[in-house]
Amino acid sequence: MRISLAQVAPRLGNLQKNLELHNYFIEKARKKKADLIVFPELSLTGYTLMDMVQEVGLNPAKAPLFKRLRASSREIDIVLGFVEEKEPGLFYNSAAYLSKDQILHIHRKVFLPTYGMFEEGKFFGQGKNFRPFATPFGKMGLMICRDFLSFGAGYILFVGGAEVIVVISAAPGRGFSNEGGFATTRMWELMGEALSFFSSSFVAYSNRVGFEDGKAFAGGSFIYNPLGNLIAKAPGVDEQMIIADLDLEEVRSARKKWPFKRDDRPELLLQALQRIVHDDED
Amino acid sequence: MTGQSCFFRLSKGLFTTMKINPPFVEKVLCAFIKEELSKFHYSRGIIGLSGGLDSSVCAFLAAKALGPKNVIGLILPYRKTFSEDVRDARSVARRLGIRSRLIDIGPMVDAYFSRFPARDKIRIGNKMARERMSILYDLSAKEKALILGTSNKTELLLGYGTIHGDTACAINPLGDLYKAQVRELAAHLGVPEKILAKKPTAGLWLGQTDEGEIGLSYEEIDRILFRLVDERQTPEAVIGAGFRRESVEKIVFLIRNSEFKRKMPPIAKISSRTIGHDFLYPYDRNR
Repeated sequence: MRISLAQVAPRLGNLQKNLELHNYFIEKARKKKADLIVFPELSLTGYTLMDMVQEVGLNPAKAPLFKRLRASSREIDIVLGFVEEKEPGLFYNSAAYLSKDQILHIHRKVFLPTYGMFEEGKFFGQGKNFRPFATPFGKMGLMICRDFLSFGAGYILFVGGAEVIVVISAAPGRGFSNEGGFATTRMWELMGEALSFFSSSFVAYSNRVGFEDGKAFAGGSFIYNPLGNLIAKAPGVDEQMIIADLDLEEVRSARKKWPFKRDDRPELLLQALQRIVHDDED
Repeated sequence: MTGQSCFFRLSKGLFTTMKINPPFVEKVLCAFIKEELSKFHYSRGIIGLSGGLDSSVCAFLAAKALGPKNVIGLILPYRKTFSEDVRDARSVARRLGIRSRLIDIGPMVDAYFSRFPARDKIRIGNKMARERMSILYDLSAKEKALILGTSNKTELLLGYGTIHGDTACAINPLGDLYKAQVRELAAHLGVPEKILAKKPTAGLWLGQTDEGEIGLSYEEIDRILFRLVDERQTPEAVIGAGFRRESVEKIVFLIRNSEFKRKMPPIAKISSRTIGHDFLYPYDRNR
């Protein structure tokens, strides 16, 4: 399968302009014969929404805007980020996988960063699940930004059989690194490298660029193969699209070489987890 | 060793350092200036040029980001004082090919103090800083140019600036760089050696230097601030790392006493939804 990551800078709170931005990159990816295009977190709305969350929320089953995006997915599968009004008045930071005019899957962000510069817990409801799902290109798992930094979340997608783990992100760059660039950029790559290798899966990370209220979103979108090798990376903080061909056969060969999946014992880990969770005294 | 501490131990790429990578910082800050202006439908920036390091760096970044034709440097001296700085400001403007304009704030400032005489150097200096702000905002409207702020992180943290004076601006590209980092960036950008070597001054009165007034060297201040702020170390830990107790305590005192300069004033909350409390929107709303 050919995957493209659209490292874009959405307009804050401007659904119409962002729909145009999506259409532009969808068309670009389609011309390159991509099977899937992945937009960043909250790509339809921008990130620092605060009280605007309630103004830009969409119910994907009803919103005309989604109907148009679904129509675009007849020719290319689409992963995008949006504010989901799941039930009237309940808003989530969500990712949708669209394919053949259908919504195949919606993931609601579980880990909502609420510390320092982040305020997501104040404005969004919390998702509850990580569920791999079937796509025309094998089983996939979706995570949103901070979800990815939980190795438990990645593990659940691994146990659930994901062969391609797709992460959409709106991660601001922070700190100067002695390697040049933002120090935090390495943090995402580190998880991509580790998770792809130990789950023998592809990991595709699509991060946004641009500025909101002074925050510089750090881009640096990447793809790792199931042996933990970097196969594509968007340099720097510019708006751009990267494309890579993923051979799902590599999942199989990696799992033959490294039997992490075969030897895994989720039922034992679950029992151990339950003991810890139940014994945990506050 | 200061200036480098551990962010995560897992990889060298995850260390945060006080040392910047100037080409990277230049790229990010130029992108910031360009994007913020375009969001507000501006193509021009206006900067108060003092002939010092910060405003020169800001002018260099703006000229790169917007093109020299889209940058206006205002040189706003009081009478004939600081003639050396005026020359340096002019040389920056010439070198960058930006438009510059010199306006003497003497008549405006003197008009006020001739009616209400004052001796307090700080009051007079603050009045001058606000006179400059007032001219910048007026010409910002006239020229359809957004004001680029030049306060650095060191000054902002210490509260070493005039509220509604030199700290007033539309956007600030330099506010997350310590003085030493501004200097590193300046060297990379090609800011004239003479300006790099200058003793920093707020220019409130002749002979004033920041370091003289604060009583500490920027070198020491920046290293202490980096630990206290970026590394979240306690004052005791910073002292334990070998810094002088009186310096650390002075810096902690200055930070704590200047919060009001870094915030919008509090609004008394009495309604069900109040600006700043629970009416919460980003600066870049719908941009």
